[in-house]
Amino acid sequence: MGIFSRLSWFFKHRWKQYSFGVLALLLVAACNVVPPRIVGVVVDAVSKKTLTIKFLMMNLGLLLLVAIMGYFLRFLWQKMIFGSSYVLERDLRNRLFHHFMKMDTTFYQKWRTGDLMAHATNDIDAVREVAGPGVLTLADSLITGLSMIFAMGMFVDWKLTLYAILPLLLLAIMANVLGNKIHDAFMKSQAAFSSINNKTQESVVGIKVLKALGQEKQDEADFDKYVSKNIKANKKSYRLDAMFDPLTSIIMGISYVITIILGGLAVIHSQITIGELVSFITYMAELTWPMFAIGSLFNILERGSASYDRITELLGEKSSLVTPRHEVKTTPNGPLDFEMKKFHYPDDKAIALNNVSFVLKEGQTMGIVGPTGGGKSTIISLLMRDFDHYNGQITVGDHDIRDFKLDDYLDTIGYVPQTNFLFSTNIRDNIRFANIDATKEQVKAAAHVADLDNDIDDMPEGYDTQVGQLGVSLSGGQKQRLSIARAVLSDPELLILDDSLSAVDSKTERNIEERIAENRSNGTTIIAASRLSSVEHADQILVVDHGTIIEHGTHQELLGNKGWYYDTFNLQAKNAELEGRLNSHG
Amino acid sequence: MDKKEQETINDIHALSRKQQRNILKRLFGFAWAFKKQFVTAIIFAIGLSVINIILPRLLQYYMDNYLVHQDTGIQIIVGFAIVYFIGTIIKAIVQFIQNFAFSMGAERTLERIRSQLFRKLHTLGMDYFDKTPAGSIVSRVTNDTKTLYDFWTLFLMILVAAFSMISAFIAMMSVNVTLAVATALFVIALYLLIWLYQRLSSKIYQRLREYLSQINTKLNESLMGISIIQQFGQQKRMISEFEHKNNQYFNQRNKMINVNSFLLYPTITLMFTLSEVISLGGFGLESTHTIVAAGVIYAFISYQQNFFNPLSNVMNYMSYFQDGMVAGYRIMKLFDNQTTSPVQNEDSAQKIEVGKIEFRHVTFGYVPNEPILKDISFTVNPGQTVALVGHTGSGKSSIINVLLRFYEFGEGQILIDDHDIRDYSTQELRQKLGLVIQEPYLFYGNIANNIRMYDDSITDAQVEQAAKFVDADEFIERLPDAYHAKVIERGSSFSTGQRQLISFARTIVRNPKVLILDEATANIDPQTEQSITRGLSKMRDDRTTIAIAHRLSTVQDADQILVLSHGRIAERGTHSELLKAGGLYSELYELQSMD
Ligand SMILES: Nc1ncnc2c1ncn2[C@@H]1O[C@H](COP(=O)(O)OP(=O)(O)OP(=O)(O)O)[C@@H](O)[C@H]1O
Ligand SMILES: Nc1ncnc2c1ncn2[C@@H]1O[C@H](COP(=O)(O)OP(=O)(O)OP(=O)(O)O)[C@@H](O)[C@H]1O
Ligand SMILES: [Mg+2]
Ligand SMILES: [Mg+2]
Repeated sequence: MGIFSRLSWFFKHRWKQYSFGVLALLLVAACNVVPPRIVGVVVDAVSKKTLTIKFLMMNLGLLLLVAIMGYFLRFLWQKMIFGSSYVLERDLRNRLFHHFMKMDTTFYQKWRTGDLMAHATNDIDAVREVAGPGVLTLADSLITGLSMIFAMGMFVDWKLTLYAILPLLLLAIMANVLGNKIHDAFMKSQAAFSSINNKTQESVVGIKVLKALGQEKQDEADFDKYVSKNIKANKKSYRLDAMFDPLTSIIMGISYVITIILGGLAVIHSQITIGELVSFITYMAELTWPMFAIGSLFNILERGSASYDRITELLGEKSSLVTPRHEVKTTPNGPLDFEMKKFHYPDDKAIALNNVSFVLKEGQTMGIVGPTGGGKSTIISLLMRDFDHYNGQITVGDHDIRDFKLDDYLDTIGYVPQTNFLFSTNIRDNIRFANIDATKEQVKAAAHVADLDNDIDDMPEGYDTQVGQLGVSLSGGQKQRLSIARAVLSDPELLILDDSLSAVDSKTERNIEERIAENRSNGTTIIAASRLSSVEHADQILVVDHGTIIEHGTHQELLGNKGWYYDTFNLQAKNAELEGRLNSHG
Repeated sequence: MDKKEQETINDIHALSRKQQRNILKRLFGFAWAFKKQFVTAIIFAIGLSVINIILPRLLQYYMDNYLVHQDTGIQIIVGFAIVYFIGTIIKAIVQFIQNFAFSMGAERTLERIRSQLFRKLHTLGMDYFDKTPAGSIVSRVTNDTKTLYDFWTLFLMILVAAFSMISAFIAMMSVNVTLAVATALFVIALYLLIWLYQRLSSKIYQRLREYLSQINTKLNESLMGISIIQQFGQQKRMISEFEHKNNQYFNQRNKMINVNSFLLYPTITLMFTLSEVISLGGFGLESTHTIVAAGVIYAFISYQQNFFNPLSNVMNYMSYFQDGMVAGYRIMKLFDNQTTSPVQNEDSAQKIEVGKIEFRHVTFGYVPNEPILKDISFTVNPGQTVALVGHTGSGKSSIINVLLRFYEFGEGQILIDDHDIRDYSTQELRQKLGLVIQEPYLFYGNIANNIRMYDDSITDAQVEQAAKFVDADEFIERLPDAYHAKVIERGSSFSTGQRQLISFARTIVRNPKVLILDEATANIDPQTEQSITRGLSKMRDDRTTIAIAHRLSTVQDADQILVLSHGRIAERGTHSELLKAGGLYSELYELQSMD
């Protein structure tokens, strides 16, 4: 029952519909009383031989009227109550989506895609059942149940009624004991469903790896493990589920036993007539249905409440991003001052950045290089405000970046991530992702900067070519260049390229570098790269390893350092030199 | 995207009879394996109906035979109560068995379909996965199958209903034949009603399922692309697009409610009352010229009630049935999908011994009539290293896609060890050709699992060795749990280069005869790259290697370099030959050494 009060915000919101629905249910119950009465009147007339055609037709007409009224009333409550329940489904799903859009990297490292999807479908469905069939069952069984109990007391005997319905208190105990158990069981069932979702999601997204390894069979076997776990979890809830009806039967049985004994004695002692006992038992039979309905009600409620718990847990997650204490209204501009004493990823003890600081003036270009896993992307993700908690400060024009409104701040940055993600739409909309109203010319210009315009013109459908999960896939380099085009479209003050030229050939790389330089003469640029060639011309170069800056300077200065940069440069030069020798031999 | 999705919605037709029969037949095929559970449930359901008839009769008997006598002793009353209670206990047990057996039958059936559907996925070719969004596939395997849980209940309801309807009909016949037949005629009305319902609701439910799948797709994509959405400040737009989809779904739900509440459950009470009107009218008219006993009318009407009552349940479950049919239809469509992986001769015992690869005039396109690879011919001799270079989008990865049989090629022939590639079993191909893909993908789990994948014959020592080989040992061993360090979805707590190394190690540990590298070191620093290349060249003599790289320094000592341009091999030769020729390759090379 607790779930009803937890959903009360919704019932309050839709109180009109629910009141109408329940009113219609009450009227239906009233309508149900009429036909037996009419039958009684007609039959009485038949046995008294007073029946006239007119009287018969009038009564039949009334019966017909009631039938049609009942029909529309039933339609009405279905529409009101079930209709509202789908409003709940829609609103909850929208709310979850809103929430997902607000959550930060930490959240997404904790929750898995399949799991989040299960919440937005499977769990919401279970909660919806509470607001639809749940409310209906409750109202309906209360109306019928109470009116029957009333009839039993009113027309037969209050004392007998009291004794007979006493065992129904056991229902409360049953609901409590079984309810808690089934709540747990449903929690596990829903979690098992989430796991299946997770598993399927990963196999589908990673299909190429599985195919390349030829491990389809093994993956199927693994999937079957999840299926077995799911069966096991569901078996438990179905077992508990299947116990509601029998227990209700037994409780009803006890009521009957009491009626048989006490009612029997009452008849023998002439306290009530046998005819009254017959009516009493008939009413009790009418109670059976509401009682079973209560069983299935608990089932719906517990399932819904388990799912609602899961959803609330999700909605309760907070983004750890800082909301500005004193929000800066101006748009960010000015030099970037990065001072990081210490940063570690949430839930990870290892220090990811240690004493990393640099100043980047407007219009300058900075390169970040260093060994794999050195911390290049970490620096960038702090700039992108993926994480807000660190010991240090990042300022743009004297304002802490955490004091800007997140959207205002991010708007000034064009970012090309190290791994590409394209949306399932056409190339045009992917390029103008940041500004869906961008003109054709703007899109073309961006594609040109990314040296993608020729590729697009070669495609039969040009900018209308569908990419992403629907339609053709692009080559690795094409995807990368599309990401670049997307980032440069809005001509951002700061452009961040995270190893974004790793999948293009040197000619294309050269083209892109030139065009970026040409187009963004005032813009600030940060380039992280695994190849030194990409950063050689930068105004300053950071070499990061193990989360600290091991070298810092211009290309020439770094060469003079004789450190990692120098070694790596030589390695590349040696290859070239070796080449030269081969050439002269040949 | 919206256009294509809208087309799918517009394309929906009501399921034809033939289609419905076909779906039913196949769904029953799946359920057949669990006939034990279902038959148990049916038997116990019928048993339950019998008990439900007996218990009230028992009470009747008690009242008629004992309570009328004032001298009935307390022992008899209590004794009778005990008998009744035992009956109740038996009823409870029967109820439990019926419920549980039925639930498990339905559950196991749907899980079986789920598992078979997943198997089907693995037989589909890459083109299917290229064109179908992940969210919609997941929705098919998990949500659509789940809908089938309630599907079977209708059949149980029909069985139980038929049982009580027949007995009620016999009882009615014994009272009044004409009126009994008239009542039975309502079955025809019912049949028409169901037919109408099927026609109207089939489309609605299909749209519903499709919208739900689109919601899932949208959700899935938004979750996978969340960082881009946030970094580009597009949350609002995504929300409004999502809400739009969600609203379309909601509107469809409203249509569903209209149809369901007009045509399903409320119609039964209507029919019952109509039949009451008829029988009351009939008896009433009869009573004007002959004598009709009141008891007869009561009895007849209560039989009528027994006749119609179970139909309410049937009608209630009609909607679940329809939903299930539609889900079944979507599931069967996936089962019937013909975009299967290229066919291999699976029975072949042919083994790849030396690793010689030959392409002969191979033509290939992802879309028919749009060739991406044109007339590709080359030979890689055993132990040789061949490098594929060329502009981005020139077709390098496509050659590999064809060689690994991810896609079926058109004209031409591919030979491995001088046998047609189709003459090898898939397993043999997968075992001997090892690929490091351009975009590494890590699975949820830990590092060791990601290297070993499902091959448990790979020892810990081998895993570590492979990691060492790609220079990943250093960073892995620094992690608190080393090789057992947790890998989250898509490996996103590792740097891109680290992911690439792990994915590289995954291939190395299998020690393939032919090693295929698609930009395998693109995100890796030059020193690590150098060390890997050195490691590889040490053992290159017993291994054929095909490598794609943009960094020409990594491929310059290849035995042969193929330069691709617009899907054709534009130049071929060794590094020095190509430089001398002064074509595309030398142009690319010049650019790089200028850096
Ligand atoms: N799955 C696919 N479906 C349809 N077209 C595709 C698919 N994959 C690639 N293409 C197209 O085929 C062409 C060749 O792509 P391919 O991936 O072979 O290029 P590539 O030489 O590997 O380029 P890169 O160096 O950028 O990785 C491109 O124009 C690309 O758009
Ligand atoms: N979300 C995370 N949680 C925990 N650790 C992380 C996370 N992201 C990265 N790391 C760790 O932080 C270190 C630095 O990673 P980062 O991505 O910054 O490297 P990188 O220099 O960009 O490397 P690459 O050249 O491979 O892209 C790595 O050891 C990595 O495993
Ligand atoms: Mg990185
Ligand atoms: Mg490629």
